[in-house]
Amino acid sequence: MAEALHAAVELFVNPTRLSMLVLGSAVGLLIGILPGMGGIVAVAILLPFMIQLDPFSALAMATGALAVVHTSDTITSVLIGAPGSAAAVPTMMEGHPMARRGEAARALSAAYLSSLVGGILGAVGLTLSIPIARPLVLSFGSPELFLLTVLGVSFAGSLLGKEPLKGLAAGLLGLLLGTVGPAPAAAEVRFAFGQVYLTDGIHLGLVALGIFGVAEVVSLLARGGAVAQRLELGRGWWEGVLDVWRHRWLVLRGALIGMWAGVLPALGATAGTLMAYGHAVATSRDRSRFGKGDVRGIIAPEAANNAVEAGDLVPTLLFGVPGGAPSAMILGALLAYGILPGPRIVTEHLDLIYTVVWSFALANVLGAGVMFAASSLLARLTYVPFRRIAPPIVLAMVLASFQETQHFGDLVTLVVLGVVGYALKVTGWPRGPLLIGFVLSDPLERYYFLTVKLYLRPEEWLLRPGVVVIGLLVLAPFAWSALRWLRTRGRGQAEVRGGQPPGPGAVATAAVLAVFAYGWWQATGFLPDAALMPVSVAALGTVLSALQLVRELRGQASPLRDDDEGEAPAEAVGPRAWRAAGYLASLAVYVLATWFVGIRWASVLWSLWFLRGVARLSWFAAAVYTAALVAGLELVASVLGLHLPAGRLRL
Amino acid sequence: MKRLSWAVLLAVLVAAVPAGAQQPYYAGKTVEILVPFAPGGGTDIDARFFAQFFEKHVPGNPRVLVRNMPGGGSILGANFFAENARADGTQLLATAGSTMIPYILGLPQVRYDPAKWELIKVNGVGGIVYVSPRTGVRKPEDLVRPAERLVYGGISATGLDLVTLLLFEVLGLDVRVVMGFEGRGPARLAFERGETNIDYQTTPAYLSQVVPLVREGKAVPILSMGFVNEKGVMVRDPSAPDLPSAYEAYQALFKRKPDGLLRWKAYQSMVAAAFTFQKALWAPAGTPPEALQALRTAVDRMRVDPQFQQQAKQILEGYEVLRGDVAKTAVLRATRITLDVKKFITDLLRSKYQVRL
Repeated sequence: MAEALHAAVELFVNPTRLSMLVLGSAVGLLIGILPGMGGIVAVAILLPFMIQLDPFSALAMATGALAVVHTSDTITSVLIGAPGSAAAVPTMMEGHPMARRGEAARALSAAYLSSLVGGILGAVGLTLSIPIARPLVLSFGSPELFLLTVLGVSFAGSLLGKEPLKGLAAGLLGLLLGTVGPAPAAAEVRFAFGQVYLTDGIHLGLVALGIFGVAEVVSLLARGGAVAQRLELGRGWWEGVLDVWRHRWLVLRGALIGMWAGVLPALGATAGTLMAYGHAVATSRDRSRFGKGDVRGIIAPEAANNAVEAGDLVPTLLFGVPGGAPSAMILGALLAYGILPGPRIVTEHLDLIYTVVWSFALANVLGAGVMFAASSLLARLTYVPFRRIAPPIVLAMVLASFQETQHFGDLVTLVVLGVVGYALKVTGWPRGPLLIGFVLSDPLERYYFLTVKLYLRPEEWLLRPGVVVIGLLVLAPFAWSALRWLRTRGRGQAEVRGGQPPGPGAVATAAVLAVFAYGWWQATGFLPDAALMPVSVAALGTVLSALQLVRELRGQASPLRDDDEGEAPAEAVGPRAWRAAGYLASLAVYVLATWFVGIRWASVLWSLWFLRGVARLSWFAAAVYTAALVAGLELVASVLGLHLPAGRLRL
Repeated sequence: MKRLSWAVLLAVLVAAVPAGAQQPYYAGKTVEILVPFAPGGGTDIDARFFAQFFEKHVPGNPRVLVRNMPGGGSILGANFFAENARADGTQLLATAGSTMIPYILGLPQVRYDPAKWELIKVNGVGGIVYVSPRTGVRKPEDLVRPAERLVYGGISATGLDLVTLLLFEVLGLDVRVVMGFEGRGPARLAFERGETNIDYQTTPAYLSQVVPLVREGKAVPILSMGFVNEKGVMVRDPSAPDLPSAYEAYQALFKRKPDGLLRWKAYQSMVAAAFTFQKALWAPAGTPPEALQALRTAVDRMRVDPQFQQQAKQILEGYEVLRGDVAKTAVLRATRITLDVKKFITDLLRSKYQVRL
């Protein structure tokens, strides 16, 4: 503890360390605002500077940046509905509908405050757990890690929405999407369709940008007007503060879930945040508002996503096993200073660890404080007509998606996933379970096979105390639901509404069914250890989506509605869907043009078309706007060292 | 007046031309190192480490940037480089053992041929094999009669683990191999948890993570993967001189030398490609000689730069950085395997590890 205090004091009084920390946080905040850019870009920019500094200042700087990238990515998630990262998806699912209602300031301030508290709780939790973290982490064997991923998947159960059948199928679709690429337990690449691009699987960042970001932006455009449909109802940032206070225990639980998801291998940052969200839904009595802007759905994941970064530092420093790319890069920088992570770091460099911990806490206070103060101001953006601000957002998303691997496949994947995301959105498929399934697909399969291959007899692992405890946690909600169902049996079964003619919803369901059936058929040809997961997922998905299709064809499904409109009549979906299809097509043309003439000229063409044809600006205004946009693109690219997709024609 | 200013301009231009010719090749240029792996991996860290010293030591001090293009286990980035790289010395490719293995095995996705490229620098790493004390194994000879069955945790049979699998083959060990770990770090955690009992780590990870376990009596180092010198002979690992190499381990077990054996040839060329010459930096064919000269001289200058030496101690673990033109023959020799060796490897992968190549 003495070292902890000493490191903290040293951090606050040493001007170099403090200023580097502030600098790092500023860079982190700025980069976090750009959708799709996160810790990797921030650390990559800072790395050349870090090498010039002493290890303490360098670490303070890097930690400062990492601590706040998830703080500022809230802006685009709430205001535009484009998640800044996969971990920001829950914030987007709840915060964006709030912004639509004119409650952007409340959503933002609640998010920042819980981020701040979550970050501090994470730092305190780290301080307390460092002495015991090593044996604790080692006590989680492969079977426990497997059960943890099962627990994570089961959290999707609370996000199924009105039609559990659809929710389950969406989760399975996510799991199936996650099996694209190399099988963990057998030397086989699955569902790559002969494309080398797909042999590494689909990138999480693209799933977040496509399924959620593109879908949301397109639907906003198709609806027209500004993001917020109502004027601020007198509630503002203060309401958000009160929300956090009202749900203070949820903040604590969210931070704990996040921290442990970060500390333990296998789960990862995004899963931790999603689990905190699932937990918030599962433990709430009234779930009706979730998905339509429930502040509890912001508080828990925001508290978690900062704590997750703190927790992630434990395996990085104590075991040399980084949880993510940003911490891996920090690890590389540490090596250059001759600081070797591992068991000895606790005895030899404890002051360094606590510098990291307290930099983390301080950066959180700084970052969230700045954003918190700005939240009322930022909220006004929701009253600007969305068409006016769409071009830079679309450009930022296209550019961000290209940073995943810098191959053209990134852009194609973005468009394809955008179309899928929009289709799922308008036909009422919950996308939360899909994301959870996707994120946990790989660890679930991996640790299942590791478990059964390392422990040859089932009783060897099934009876381990950790497995039993986590297993009971997995089963408890099911037992509880069954109990409730038994008690309320016979009551409230008037759900069945007849006379809903099958519409576009049935087409979407049929498409999902086709995907599952195709996946099943394909997967049977894989090596046994590569086939088990996709075959079981696709088979179950085929059955569930077939059942759902039958219900829809019989007119038993709940009426199709646009997520945005609450109980809007089904007709509202028609013309708007056509407009949305037009925007998606324009995005495809944009990407195609990028392939030919490079992103600069493609952006010029798209932006001019959009500003003239959709936003109805004058030629002059459109030209000036476009010129500013491309200048901004060049500036951002050169400052961040990003690569711009060059066209075949090499203009 | 106007005529005068034209004359001045002309004079300046004329004066500037010879001055420009004297400028170093790389003055004002930006060099891009293409890393076909994700940020934060070993090759990325190596490339970023070298980038700053190239900035310092290449005459003209160009800006050196790292660009990550992950995909297809580095095949995608290397293919991209082979097909698109500018041959003017401003685009370089960093490769790792896992870029070379698919090339050596001749996988159909590979569209690159390092034999056509220019090698700038190469540096290696070693691998140390250690066991749990529960196995009762103290020295290489004990590996064939462990107290409990050996269990090894690997990542994938077609990656660097291929070297380990070939080692088990060479020594004739009966090991239960469990593939599916995300990386060597998580595999080491499984060793520490007691789920596996034989493991290897590259030397940097071994020194920082496993040596403390050895001191606590929780791990026993047995042998090093070995190091292939420029004559093509396997010697002891320079950073683990106390441990016998795989070559010596074979001799201790079988009382004869392994040279000439098919499995040994396969093992040794994989050790060379995947460990000894692991991190290489290439320029495309047709790069101007003055550019190559500038880059390779920079490697020489780094080797005597005290700041480089000090930082390299941790990043390179005491392994030497070799100038590309010096090492190219040895590096390429390691990538050429005869058909019977290739067949041995593909047969092994197919029959024991269900890999269809």
